[in-house]
Amino acid sequence: MDPLHQFQIQRYLPINIGGLDASFSNSALYMVITVALITGLIVYGMRGRALVPSRMQSLAELFYEFVANLVRDNAGPDARKYFPFVFSLFMFIMVGNLIGLVPGTFTFTSHIIVTFGLALTVFVFVTLLGLIKHGFHFFSLFMPSGVPMALAPILIPIEILSYLSRPVSLSIRLFANMMAGHTMLKVFGGFSVLLGGALGGLGYTVGILPLVINIALVGFEILVAMLQAYVFTILTCLYIRDALELH
Amino acid sequence: MAGGDDGLSKRSIGLAFRIGIEMVAAMIVGVGGGMLLDNWLGTTPWGLIGMFFLGAGAGIVNVYRAVNGIGYAPGYRKQPGPESGSEQ
Repeated sequence: MDPLHQFQIQRYLPINIGGLDASFSNSALYMVITVALITGLIVYGMRGRALVPSRMQSLAELFYEFVANLVRDNAGPDARKYFPFVFSLFMFIMVGNLIGLVPGTFTFTSHIIVTFGLALTVFVFVTLLGLIKHGFHFFSLFMPSGVPMALAPILIPIEILSYLSRPVSLSIRLFANMMAGHTMLKVFGGFSVLLGGALGGLGYTVGILPLVINIALVGFEILVAMLQAYVFTILTCLYIRDALELH
Repeated sequence: MAGGDDGLSKRSIGLAFRIGIEMVAAMIVGVGGGMLLDNWLGTTPWGLIGMFFLGAGAGIVNVYRAVNGIGYAPGYRKQPGPESGSEQ
C-alpha cells in the first residue's frame, strides 16, 4: 500500500568496488532492458533496408526522422555531427519512461541520480564543446554585449548561476514528473483496493471511480513520458546550438 | 500535475512543464552554492544571503528567457533566424 515502495532499489547482484556500491540493481536491470529494446528495434527493424518499409522499419525511421528534424531545427545544421548523442539520449529516456508504465516494472528515470547523471553528461559535453570550438572566447557567454560596465558585477554572477542551473533544472524536471506521476497512479490504485477492503461489495462498486481516474491518468502519463523525453532532447539541442553559435 | 487540456498543443504543454522548474532550479543552485561558499570561506550568513538573491535573479532571468523564447543562451542576444527553436 506504500505508494513509494515502487521506487525502492533492490540489489540483485551485490558488487562492491573499493567501498563503492556498484551493485547490479533493478534500476540497472531496466536500463539494460531499455538499451536492449532500443538496439533490438533499430537493428532488427532496419535489417531489411527495404524501400517500402515494414512496420518495424517504419517505427525506427519515424524515431530517426523525428530526432533528426529536432536536431536540424533547434541545434542548427552544424550540429549534424552530434545527432548520435542526441538520438541515444532521446531513445534512452523515452523508452525508459514508457517501460516504467508497464505495471510491475521499475522506472529508472524516477531517480534523481539517474536524471542528474544524464543532465550532467549533457552539461559537460556542451561546455567542452563550447570551449573547444571557441576557446577562451566561450566565456563571453557570461557577459552580454551592450550592457553597461556598471552592471557587470551583478550580471555576471547571475549569468553564471543561470548557466549552472541548467543541469539542475533538466534533471529535476524529468525526475519530478516521473516520480509524481507514478506516485499518483499508485495512490489512486490504492484507493480502489482500500475501499473494497473496508466496505466490501459497496466499496468495490464505489472503487470503480478511482479506477476510471487511473485510466485517464495512465493516458496522461504516456503523454508525460513522451513529452519529458522531448523536452530533455529539445533543451539539449538548444544548449548545443548555444555552444556552437556563440555570438 | 493538472494539464492535458484538449486545446493545448504539445509545445505549450512542454513550456508549461518547463518554466515552473526553472526558477526552483536556479534557487537550488544559488542557495546550495551559497552554503558551500560559507562552509569553505567561513563567512557564515553572508554567502547564503548574497547567493540567495543572485539565485532568485537567475531564476527570474531563466523564466524570462523561456517565456520570451530567446532560447537558453545566457546573454540577451536574440537568436538569428525565424525558427530559432524556441517555444512560442
